[in-house]
Amino acid sequence: MASAEQLAGPDELSEEEQEAVETLLFRLADDEFVVAERYTEWQVRAPTLESDLALANIAQDELGHARLWYDLLQDFGPDEPDLIWERPAGEWRHSTLTELPFDEGDWADPILRSYLYDVAEEIRLEALVDSSYARIRDRVGKIQGEEDYHREHAENWLERLTDDDEGTRRVQQALDKLLPYALTIFAPADEEIEARIDELGLRTMSLADMREEWLDTVVPYLEGLGLSVDEAELPEQYDTHHEGLELPDELGRDQSHTDDWDDLYDEFTNTYRDLDRSEATRIMKDPDEE
Amino acid sequence: MIWEVFRQEQAGDYHTHCGNVHAPDREMALLFAEIQHGRRKPTNSLWVAPQEEIGEVDTEDAEFGGTTDKSYRWAQTYSFEAAAEEVAESENEQVQAEAERQRGDD
Amino acid sequence: MDIEEVKQRAGPREFSPKDDLPEKYRKAATRMIQFHANSEIMGAYLERPFIREAPSLDRKLAFSAKVQDEIGHGQLLYRAAESLGIKDREQMLDELANGEGKFLNCFHYPMDSWVETPMIAFFVDGAAMRRQATLKQSSWEPYAHAMDKVCFEEGFHVKHGEAILYELMTGSKSEQERTQAAFEKWWPRIIQFFGPTDDKSTHHDFSADVGLKTMTNDELRNAFLNAYIPKAEKYGLEIPDTPRIRENDDGTYEVEEDDLDWDEFFTIAKNDAPGSHEQIGKRNRTQEAVEWVRNSMDGWESKSAGKTPQAAD
Repeated sequence: MASAEQLAGPDELSEEEQEAVETLLFRLADDEFVVAERYTEWQVRAPTLESDLALANIAQDELGHARLWYDLLQDFGPDEPDLIWERPAGEWRHSTLTELPFDEGDWADPILRSYLYDVAEEIRLEALVDSSYARIRDRVGKIQGEEDYHREHAENWLERLTDDDEGTRRVQQALDKLLPYALTIFAPADEEIEARIDELGLRTMSLADMREEWLDTVVPYLEGLGLSVDEAELPEQYDTHHEGLELPDELGRDQSHTDDWDDLYDEFTNTYRDLDRSEATRIMKDPDEE
Repeated sequence: MIWEVFRQEQAGDYHTHCGNVHAPDREMALLFAEIQHGRRKPTNSLWVAPQEEIGEVDTEDAEFGGTTDKSYRWAQTYSFEAAAEEVAESENEQVQAEAERQRGDD
Repeated sequence: MDIEEVKQRAGPREFSPKDDLPEKYRKAATRMIQFHANSEIMGAYLERPFIREAPSLDRKLAFSAKVQDEIGHGQLLYRAAESLGIKDREQMLDELANGEGKFLNCFHYPMDSWVETPMIAFFVDGAAMRRQATLKQSSWEPYAHAMDKVCFEEGFHVKHGEAILYELMTGSKSEQERTQAAFEKWWPRIIQFFGPTDDKSTHHDFSADVGLKTMTNDELRNAFLNAYIPKAEKYGLEIPDTPRIRENDDGTYEVEEDDLDWDEFFTIAKNDAPGSHEQIGKRNRTQEAVEWVRNSMDGWESKSAGKTPQAAD
């Protein structure tokens, strides 16, 4: 795949190529936007003032990444309202891991969620470093620069939380809830388009390979913390559909979502609709001019 | 052991790092610091802290202020004339700080 | 040090934790800084829903960054208060959660709509910044140091609020009307931000005498009105008829105090308004919900304390 030819710029892509690029970008952008939207719920509610600042910062990083990816979708014509504020809830492609609500006070959830998410994020960014599409390739480095902190933050918290019984119980509970949803990160939006994304060299690792690497990282790490991953059931070679660990009904990637997503969507689009807006204010420069 | 020394020039100022001394304990560290770091430069107060107790994170390990655009955090991004003197002053400080940060990146 | 000596020496950044200060000073300073710190937290509480509600990606980022800064200010201020040796942070946060901790009047009112956001983010923050700028000269050095960083960051908040106000007032007719209505609702509260005129303020004299604060409520209110009335008018907001505000020949303003609802103000000061119960109740609930994390970290801390090499003393 590394030898795939370079793709043309946004204006010169064939319809099929454009569809592949757009699908890939929606996977990335929607994940970042929605995971951040959930993280911000912890602002002013985190266990301590210091931990509040840190998670807020991670949320802002992820929103900033979403901004970079949505900006590349704008190359194809739609503006921010088309992509975010007016796009129907049923057309979003984020993994359902990112949209799940938190139970009040369940700090283990955002910590574990960010661990599961950020390990996957690292793997998929690595698979974009040599993307055949220059517009994506050029933005990966900036995003990677902010990911180390996220992973370190999550791991440090996990190691401390699992040091006592109550913390371990809470993290285990979060793990039981989140792990199936985390696997949707690697679910295909559409088998045929995903295959095309790989063939075109838009990413240099298939979803199945990324998932395998992710499981190889996450499972031993979590078990090392004394947590139990229902892993015995996993087949030797993890296949695309993951028979061992059952996926939830809502994959996100295929635009199926939980009811909680509809509620979240209504909340974050509320002002835009209430004020009858048709534009979204930009404060910062276009990323190409930075 | 080694003790890091922080000097405050005048009452109300911040204590800033100015050097270190070898000393077997805190009392001795203060005695030595007083002479080594306080005898010539204007000094109102000195702090000492064991070097091994000081943690560090630097640009090797961290991207201070992030790598993506965070200009929404800066007053100068919002092109309005400052409402009051203290807002203008804050903005000037931010312009300076951001310029220094950018220079650090290069 | 006795009170007389404190009064004599009182000046900018004059006293630090190593000074042997009378309890009266330390208690007065604690009360003032704790109030300030509490206000940062409760202001952030009021604004946090608008991170979610913000109608553009950039506005969402800015709102998140702003709320983050306010929590950061709370962190600085609780440290400055702790350093007086009267209360530790945990106690102050507990007091805030159980309704004993006091905070600014404006943060006891609900904020329901985006059009209200500049009332806090521009006017209340502008008023707060006016006061904070003078507190860089406070006699309690840790407080003044906290103000250095707070004021450094705060300019972004006020301009961010101004940008939202400008956008609303140049937006659709409905946006303009709704913003004007929000302004009318918030204006008296904003005027009351600086408290009653000085003869009604109970703690004023002592904290001014010992240099904790350097300007009176009246001076601050004047400076605020001088800067912000023209700004409000520039954006097309009409200043409500009440409270009546007279401009004197020397550029100072006089507010007709009887036009303001001081019963409401003092009910709020006792944390007894409906909004107070609502906001404090929320804070209490969410802080209790994460107590297990703090307990877990305390356990970790006491275990790891033995592992860290201790310096010879």
